[in-house]
Formats: sequence, C-alpha cells, structure tokens
Amino acid sequence: MGNLANVYVQYVKNYYRSKSFYLMLTLILVISVLMTYFSLKYVNDLPAFLGKNVPFHVKKVLFYFLWAFVLINIPVFSSVFFGSPAISSEIENRTAYYIFPLPINRYKLYIGKYLSAFTVTFIIVLIYSAFEVIILHYLFGSIPISFLYSIGLLAIFIFTILSITFMISSIFNKNTYAYITVFIIYYIVFEAGSLIINLLYKITPIYLLNEAADIVEKVYLNINTSSFVSTPSLAPADNSEIYTSILIMIIYMIISFVAGIIIFERKEVS
Amino acid sequence: MEIKINNLTKRYGKLVALNKINMEASGPGCIAILGPNGAGKTTMLKLISNIIKPTEGSVLINNINVSDYPERALKYLGALIEQPEFYYYLNGYEILRFAAKVKGIKNNIDEEIKRLADLTDIKSYLYRKTGTYSRGMKQRLALAVAMVGNPEIIILDEPTFGLDPRGMAYIRDLIKDLSREKLIILSTHLIYEAREVSNRTLIIDHGEIKYDSIKNDNKKRILVTFDGPFNGIKSDVIEDIKNLDGNKMIITPVESVSNYDIIYDLIKNNVKIKSVQEYDDLEEKYISITS
Repeated sequence: MGNLANVYVQYVKNYYRSKSFYLMLTLILVISVLMTYFSLKYVNDLPAFLGKNVPFHVKKVLFYFLWAFVLINIPVFSSVFFGSPAISSEIENRTAYYIFPLPINRYKLYIGKYLSAFTVTFIIVLIYSAFEVIILHYLFGSIPISFLYSIGLLAIFIFTILSITFMISSIFNKNTYAYITVFIIYYIVFEAGSLIINLLYKITPIYLLNEAADIVEKVYLNINTSSFVSTPSLAPADNSEIYTSILIMIIYMIISFVAGIIIFERKEVS
Repeated sequence: MEIKINNLTKRYGKLVALNKINMEASGPGCIAILGPNGAGKTTMLKLISNIIKPTEGSVLINNINVSDYPERALKYLGALIEQPEFYYYLNGYEILRFAAKVKGIKNNIDEEIKRLADLTDIKSYLYRKTGTYSRGMKQRLALAVAMVGNPEIIILDEPTFGLDPRGMAYIRDLIKDLSREKLIILSTHLIYEAREVSNRTLIIDHGEIKYDSIKNDNKKRILVTFDGPFNGIKSDVIEDIKNLDGNKMIITPVESVSNYDIIYDLIKNNVKIKSVQEYDDLEEKYISITS
C-alpha cells in the first residue's frame, strides 16, 4: 500500500506539471467560458425551433442537458491526453530503465499511474462542473440532485475510458500508435459502430461504451443524441436504464483493466 | 551478497539473445562484462534487473528469484541500465526521494539524498527538472538512483557513457571504491576500463559466455622487447615462451616466480633486454573470441 501511494504521488506531480495538463486546462477554461457566454445569452432568447414559450422547468432541464452533453466528451479528450501515452511512454521515453529495476511490483506502478491519471482527468472535469454549477444556479436558482448523479456516472465513465486507454497504451511501445488507436477505438469502433447498427438494425446498441456513457446526459432528458431510434422523453432516464449503463461501463472497466495489467506485467523493454 | 544465474535464456522469436548462461558471483568485487554490440551483455543485465523476463532459467539475488519476487529481490540491487531517462517534470531530488521510499528507507531520506548527491556530484542541479538535464547529468543521477539505499549489488551498464574525461575518471574511481564493499557487475566496451576496475572478466559473444577469467588460464605474463637474434632460452623459472615479430617475446613464468628472477635468467641467456612489462592478453583474447 505504501509503495502504491508513493507511485501515485510521483505520477500526479509529473502529470499536473506537464504541458498536457496546462493545455487541457486552457481548453477546458475556453469551453467553460463559451458555455457560460451562450447560456447567459440564450437563456431568455431560445432559438425558434425550440418553441416560443418554453416552460421554465423544461428550459431548466434543457440547459442542464446541454451542459452535460459537453461534459461527456471531456473525459474522452482528457484520457487521450493523459492515458494514451501513460504506459507506452515508459518505453518510448526510456523511463522504464529507471523505474523497472526499483523494488516495486509492476501492477502497483500500473494502478498508481491509473489513479493519478484519473485524478488529473477528474480535476479537469470538476473545473467545468464548477462553471456548470455556478452558471446554472445563477440562471435557475437551484441545482437538481440529478447533477450529482451525472458527476457520479461521469466518474465511472472516466475510470472505464481510462481502463481502455491504459490497456491500449500497454500494447504499444510508441505514444503515437497509442493515441491513434484510442481515437480509432472510441470514434470509429464505438461511435461509427453504434451509428451503423442504428441504421441497419434500428436498435440502439446499449452494450457499446459510448451508448452506455450517454447515461450521463440522459439523467436530465431521456434523449439519445447519437441514436436515430430513440424514444425521446422529457423525463429523465429510469433507474433500470441507469443500472444497465453502469453495469456495462463496469464490465468494460474490469475486463480492460485486468487485460492491461496482464500485458504490462509481461511488457518487454526492447 | 550473491548472485546466481541458472540456464538463463532470452529469445525474441527465432533470435536467441542469450543462450543458457550460467554464472555465480559473490562479493565484494567487480565483474566486467565485455562483448561486441549485440553480444547479449545488456540483455543479461536487463534480465538481472527485471527490465525483461527470461524465456528460460532464473536469476537469484541472495537466493531470491528476481522474476517471481521483484519487490524482495531488487531491494538488494541497484541498477543503471543503458541510458535511462527520468520523468521530465520531476527534479533530481524527487526522483531520488521516490527511489528511497520504494527501497524502504523511512527515516533520514534527506541525509541519504545528500550523501548520494555528494558522491555523484549532482548537488548543483538537484532541484532542477530532469527534463533540462544534459546526458552526463542524467547519467550521474542514474548512478545516484542505483546507489540509493546502499544496495549490496550494483549493475552498471556502460556507466561512463556520455561523460567527459574528468567525469569518466571520477566514475571509474567511484567504481573501484564501491567494489571494496559491494559486488559490481559492469558492462563496458572499453577493455582498458574493464582492466582498470575489475577483478574478474567475462567475454560474451552470440549470447554465450565465451570467456570467464576465473575459469580460464589467468596466469601472469611478461612482455619483453630485446635487441639481437632470438636463440632460445633455457630456464627453470620460465614455463613458456612465445616469440613475436623477431624482437618481442611473451614469457609465462612458473607460478610465484618474481620478475627479477625472469630478468636474471634472460640476461644469463645473453638476451639484450630493452624493456620488460606486464603483458595483459585480454585484448588479444577479446579479438580472437569475438572475431
């Protein structure tokens, strides 16, 4: 346990001092400021296609939904920044030659780095969430309990997407390959895959990670933004849908986490 | 301090990088490993320090298997393998502090870091981010990391690489000092470096140990240059004579005979001696083994 804590602290320090962290921080501040600007501008002047006299409670849910819609994409970008090179960089940057001969089990290195990547990703998410809370509280005077649900669900999604990213990073010895593969897996295999299945079979493939992760925004409005065959509802997703999505994310998380550790244990520095 | 290597084999597909190596060593002392590029020197050191896993065989450090129990075995070991890099945004102090903590040092970590910073001469840039270090600075920091916790066994893979001549001399002196108390396993391309710092030499080629100075003939030899013809020598103190290019000969004395006795006998045999020096045939052996 002591060594795991030492590994965690070392990697958190290295992450939060890195250029990637400051680049991601800048990006998130720009996105947050833009969301703030558009929220303040359009709260009393909704586009015509949404209707003229939108009731206050619907408007409130709609703005929560829009903020959550952006929120769900942040972990994907953050995990690409922090997770993709996490293991491959040990080989490419030759830090493995320093860290592997130290008396520490590799799985502890893996878990320590994984938790530190989660920490910095969650910090980025919390910065955006802080903007979300302040602006929406200012506009609507309250924060619903579903906001806490969505942050909790997002934490599970971050753990899951980082598990997959770390597993892919363990396979490669070059950061570039890891970056490209993570992008391909998430945006082609998952996103395009769910689109194709939607179009061909008229079903929403809930077992794909991106579909399961949509639960973060669906706790506000039960609309699947990436699906053509959804059953849109202004009511939030029901509990069974939330539990199913959580279960799917956890299955992805566990399988990829275990696979990643096994690959890392057998990793050759050559 | 003891290291045992049993049938150690490393294969990459069809390529055999290391083939059933067996070796035992106990300290203190310094073992130099010589060999051409791709001979298997670094592979052997990587296996000892758990950077890669063996295909077959085992490495035991103080009778603990490195692959099976790295956390226990590697506590006795410090390693500088190839030219390591460090986490770019951490400084030298943080790198050493982390190494000290995982090696189980709980108290006096700062004193340990100060000792190592003095020993490897890295004090002036200890608090700079390692991403700003030069090659030589990183090499010194890597040496300091290898010595954290005063390990019994230190593995050094070309430790003078990237250092200026002053730095090289400093590191060699340091290795000589360390080998009085510890077991040092040193890989080098430089025969004179091996000769200067080690008391045992291995030559590795094509993944096999082809020469081990403790197993092979390690007799003292003397190189004599002389004027005039060579007409043979009769002597009770000389075991063997090899005449080289006319006016040089290599003499293998009978064991425990001094150089003075040899010189006396040469003069008795009317050899006009120009010079006498210790002859080290390591370079000759290296070339004949690896060619």
